[in-house]
Amino acid sequence: MSKVIVVTSGKGGVGKTTSSAAIGAGLAMRGHKTVVIDFDVGLRNLDMIMGCERRVVFDFINVIQGDAKLKQALIKDRRLENLHVLPTSQTRDKDALTTEGVKKVLDELREEFDYIVCDSPAGIERGAHLAMYYADEAVVVTNPEVSSVRDSDRVLGLLNSKTALAEKGDGSAVKAQLLLTRFDQNRSANGEMMSVEDVLEILAIPLLGIIPESTSVLKASNEGTPVSLDEKSPAGKAYMDAVGRLVGEQIEMRVNPGEQRRGFFQRLLGRTA
Amino acid sequence: MQSGKSAAQTVATVKPLQIRGRTFTAIALHLTGRPDRTFFEALEARLNQTPLFFDNAPLVIDLEQAAGLDSAQELMHLTAELRRRKLSVFGIQSGTPAQARAAAEAGLISLPGGRDAALERVSRQGSRPVPAAPPAPKEPANLMINQPVRSGQTVFADRGDLIVVGSVSSGAEVIAAGNIHIYGRLRGRALAGVNGDTSARIFCHALDAELLAIAGLYRTSENLGADTPRQYVQVHLQGEVLRIESLK
Repeated sequence: MSKVIVVTSGKGGVGKTTSSAAIGAGLAMRGHKTVVIDFDVGLRNLDMIMGCERRVVFDFINVIQGDAKLKQALIKDRRLENLHVLPTSQTRDKDALTTEGVKKVLDELREEFDYIVCDSPAGIERGAHLAMYYADEAVVVTNPEVSSVRDSDRVLGLLNSKTALAEKGDGSAVKAQLLLTRFDQNRSANGEMMSVEDVLEILAIPLLGIIPESTSVLKASNEGTPVSLDEKSPAGKAYMDAVGRLVGEQIEMRVNPGEQRRGFFQRLLGRTA
Repeated sequence: MQSGKSAAQTVATVKPLQIRGRTFTAIALHLTGRPDRTFFEALEARLNQTPLFFDNAPLVIDLEQAAGLDSAQELMHLTAELRRRKLSVFGIQSGTPAQARAAAEAGLISLPGGRDAALERVSRQGSRPVPAAPPAPKEPANLMINQPVRSGQTVFADRGDLIVVGSVSSGAEVIAAGNIHIYGRLRGRALAGVNGDTSARIFCHALDAELLAIAGLYRTSENLGADTPRQYVQVHLQGEVLRIESLK
């Protein structure tokens, strides 16, 4: 039974594409056959984050318009056997997306893949709407700051009303979970950033994971490597934990996974530094 | 739960209908006999004195002095003739029961009463408003929402109280004709008594509202003041003042 997961946020720049790539790669590493689709028509980024931008021949829009077959547009990842990317068009805009076209492509992908990760564009217009419309689950990417939280709240309202599941009217709903990204423990403790509890109190959805602010994220993006492949970085580990929870495992929530408990002297030094 | 879209549409129209008493000015045409040729000549002469003055004026035919005029056919003919002269006939007054039946057949309403219509009082007497059907007793229709009201959503209880079991987010709007109860934190906008009910109240567990309004009187978060109670509060109107009180 395949699952369509939309990665969405409302606000731009919070880490949707990074998270889509990391979650897609994480699912593939766990042995699930996964495809990541870029819904940000006209502002194509996913292919770069996933390091396959030089292999794009056909794209999502070509498939929707019948100019290419799905098999021709899908790009197989070179590092992970189970990972595929469906890039989007840089020259077209969101109007090229149609409800029927998206449904047709997703139905075809459902036959072959275990997980279909839809990387939503920012905003709540056509592109974002169609990215979430056929979703079974949603990963709502939020930064710990007020405007991001409010936009995520808006998106949660849309997930409850403007999706195929919600429109069925039989009480079914898209299962939404929160992915808190760019989280900085120290700044949150100082009150410069919202705390995890504050965000959860407002959004009132289950927490999928906390991704610490990390230099490794930008580095991975520039290299075109999903950050979850970087097993040494705290962000990569946090994404792998989140992926584990996404597939239903019970994993303890850690703000900085992998950070060793510092020894007595280190703590002393850390304090004086 | 109402979806954002349908709720927004309800808000736009506010209410499918309203019933209000209304007084109209109409002119009364006193007949003193049968509407024969003489009558129409006299009418033409009168209308020509002040052309346009009576154009499309609502008009009642007073039959007090025309007891013999009781056939629907005659009334229909008269109505047609008057309408041809741009007089908007809609009823009769001071008619006998037989005339009332004839009027009904002719598609006219029969107004009760037979008071003398002094010319200078035309505007006050004229046609009294058709007694409106008593408004159907309103069934209270309270609306219960069992999930958080998200930013950008509008929930509208147009005929009763609104109960939200959960929080109302910043950027969300909860509106009710009656009271609003929020078992959670109110961060958005709450408008109670929107149809003018000044006795409506807003209750919430925690107050962090962008805007509070009762029967159109509102306060925004900016002028709530630092000493406003924030936990377990009720908001109500005291005269023209929106008061926020702790329930503790």
